Amino acid sequence: MKDFLTVFQYEFKIQLFKRAAIVTMVVIMLIMAVVTSLPRIISLFDSGEPGGQKADGGISGFEKAGYLMPEDEQTRLALLAVLGSEAPGYADRAALEKALADKDIEVGFVVADDLSYEAVYQDRSMTEQRDQIMGDILTAMKKERMLLEHGLSGEDYAAIEAARAQGTTTILGQDSTSNYAITFLLLLLVYFIVLMYGSSVSSVIAREKDSRTMEILITSTRPTKLIIGKVAASGLAALIQFGLVILVSYLGIQFNKSTYPPEVLMMISGTITPGYMWSYAFFSFFGFILYLFLYAALGSTVSKMEDLASATGLVQFLFIAGYLLATFAAQMPNSAVAVVGSIIPFTSIMVMPIRFGLVTVPWVEVVAAGVLMLAFVAFFAYLSIKIYRWGSLNYGNKTKLTRIVREALRREHR
Amino acid sequence: MRLDVVNVKKSFGDKEILHGISFSVTSGRAMGFLGRNGAGKSTTIRCLMDVFRQDSGDFLLDGQPFEPWKMRIGYLPEERGMYQKNKVLPQLAYFARLRGASKADALRSANYWIDYFELGEFKNKNLETLSKGNQQKIQIAQSFLNEPDILILDEPFSGLDPVNAQVFKDTIADFVRQGKLVIFSSHQMGYVEEVCDDVTLIHEGDIVLSGSLDRIKREEGRDKLYLSLAQDEGQDELTRALQSAFPGLLVTNSRDGEGLILDTQGQALQDRLLKWLAGQQVTVRRFGLYEPSLTDIFIEKVGETA
Repeated sequence: MKDFLTVFQYEFKIQLFKRAAIVTMVVIMLIMAVVTSLPRIISLFDSGEPGGQKADGGISGFEKAGYLMPEDEQTRLALLAVLGSEAPGYADRAALEKALADKDIEVGFVVADDLSYEAVYQDRSMTEQRDQIMGDILTAMKKERMLLEHGLSGEDYAAIEAARAQGTTTILGQDSTSNYAITFLLLLLVYFIVLMYGSSVSSVIAREKDSRTMEILITSTRPTKLIIGKVAASGLAALIQFGLVILVSYLGIQFNKSTYPPEVLMMISGTITPGYMWSYAFFSFFGFILYLFLYAALGSTVSKMEDLASATGLVQFLFIAGYLLATFAAQMPNSAVAVVGSIIPFTSIMVMPIRFGLVTVPWVEVVAAGVLMLAFVAFFAYLSIKIYRWGSLNYGNKTKLTRIVREALRREHR
Repeated sequence: MRLDVVNVKKSFGDKEILHGISFSVTSGRAMGFLGRNGAGKSTTIRCLMDVFRQDSGDFLLDGQPFEPWKMRIGYLPEERGMYQKNKVLPQLAYFARLRGASKADALRSANYWIDYFELGEFKNKNLETLSKGNQQKIQIAQSFLNEPDILILDEPFSGLDPVNAQVFKDTIADFVRQGKLVIFSSHQMGYVEEVCDDVTLIHEGDIVLSGSLDRIKREEGRDKLYLSLAQDEGQDELTRALQSAFPGLLVTNSRDGEGLILDTQGQALQDRLLKWLAGQQVTVRRFGLYEPSLTDIFIEKVGETA
């Protein structure tokens, strides 16, 4: 136990205070702080919702719009009443286009009659909506005129439109609609943690072998303690560093909550059930440990650092396949592929939490996946120790993974 | 303490590297483990350290199975290395802790050996920033950490300049004086001769010599005389004259070419030879009992230098 703690402490300090890891974490924390504050930042520059009625009678967002008014007097007056008397009009299309080119206006409307118009832009931004809003304005004007022709007032029409059947929806299990985003975000978090710390563990061990430190280590203590100490140190460092990222995100949400649109608020509140959190914590944690052991084992099979990327390619492929399966499971959480994927440990790390977040997973599947995950962690920890021991004695030529496993399991070492 | 290597065999694949080797090492006497490249020195040491497990045979310490992880051992592997990107003091303290020292003792031991090798200014520097020679000293220091009872050093002198080699020799001598058990392999016969009381010579997986260096030298020099002339010119003629005057006398040139080694093959020829030489027209520079150097013994037993 003492040796395990010694290895753990030494590796933990190195992992936690590694400059590259700190820089990455700080960058991620800054990104999360900015992302969670985005609605507040946008609101600082936002002059209001386009299409809303302004106090002076004009329409918000249409200050930089110009018009070529229709000849029909009735439509023209009705339009001016909505847009405001200050709405700049142009004599012909050429004058309107010149104003656009000179940046006097951002959008020009050529209104032919009460149901036909053309929106003209010099450049159109991705978020531009004024062309659609003009359509809504003209449609509303036309509907009102038709109602009047049929002897109905605007209030009558509003009352007809307001008639709605009242209903409530009760979800006994999980609500995929609201859970989708949050489960996917948590999935991404696991994805980054595994890739980042997995490569970190494999490079620590490969460097140990490359620098020939391994022989001193394995003659000083048992490989079991070395491998488990390293994996535990990486695991805890990951939890602390990503815990800080989650903390920053949480504080950012709490601080900026008041500026969030209602649909975002609904998405981030009330959808995480304790059952989901347990499933997420269990499968992510043990899946992460499983992958760390795999990365550690593969790190000890190479003799040179430059061979590490190709050696860990297989496990990267396996993990990315798991991620793709999880994205598939997010669309079809009860499909046979998703069910199988949520039970096999290499993929259940991501697929089970996704399914748990979106549908009610039968307990038998959860228990089977959990037991299998623990068994895999134990087996791959054992295999990882054996491969590490094998790796300490084998330098030089690349060896096939199947042969490494066979030899590692055959050899008798302490 | 007495460490016995008993009939140890080790194969890799179909190739047997160690063919049942046996020898002993006792504490308070440094043992030089010699052999050509590929003779099986490092394999033996790695089996001893349980890096490899031998196929058969035993390592016994005072008659009990030797379990290196239960002992305080200083080990310097042939393929040496430490964490290049980590600081010197923390990693030495880490190695000391892995070998059972408390945190305070580990730091004390690491500091002691860093200062001993006059590397105090590099304590908090990454190992990779040190010169190759200083890195070598740090690597040697790691084998001395934590007051080991047994020192196993594989090629400790390689890469050391003469000044540092002297410091290292003195340190080993100190350990020997303190009654520690010391084994080291080396290609440098001069260093072995200076430091070791005992030697074991391994050749192609078999032990060809083992025991006290003095005794081996005596035995290897038995029945042999050394003769050198003041002028080199007459040496060939003298060889021919000796062989015709004393049938059965084996005459060979010494390794340095400075003189002749006369193997009497058990005959009491010393007085007759002396009288015979007095009657020759030569000036004798040295005539006496022959004591071979370790290099001479090595070459005779295994063919050439390591």
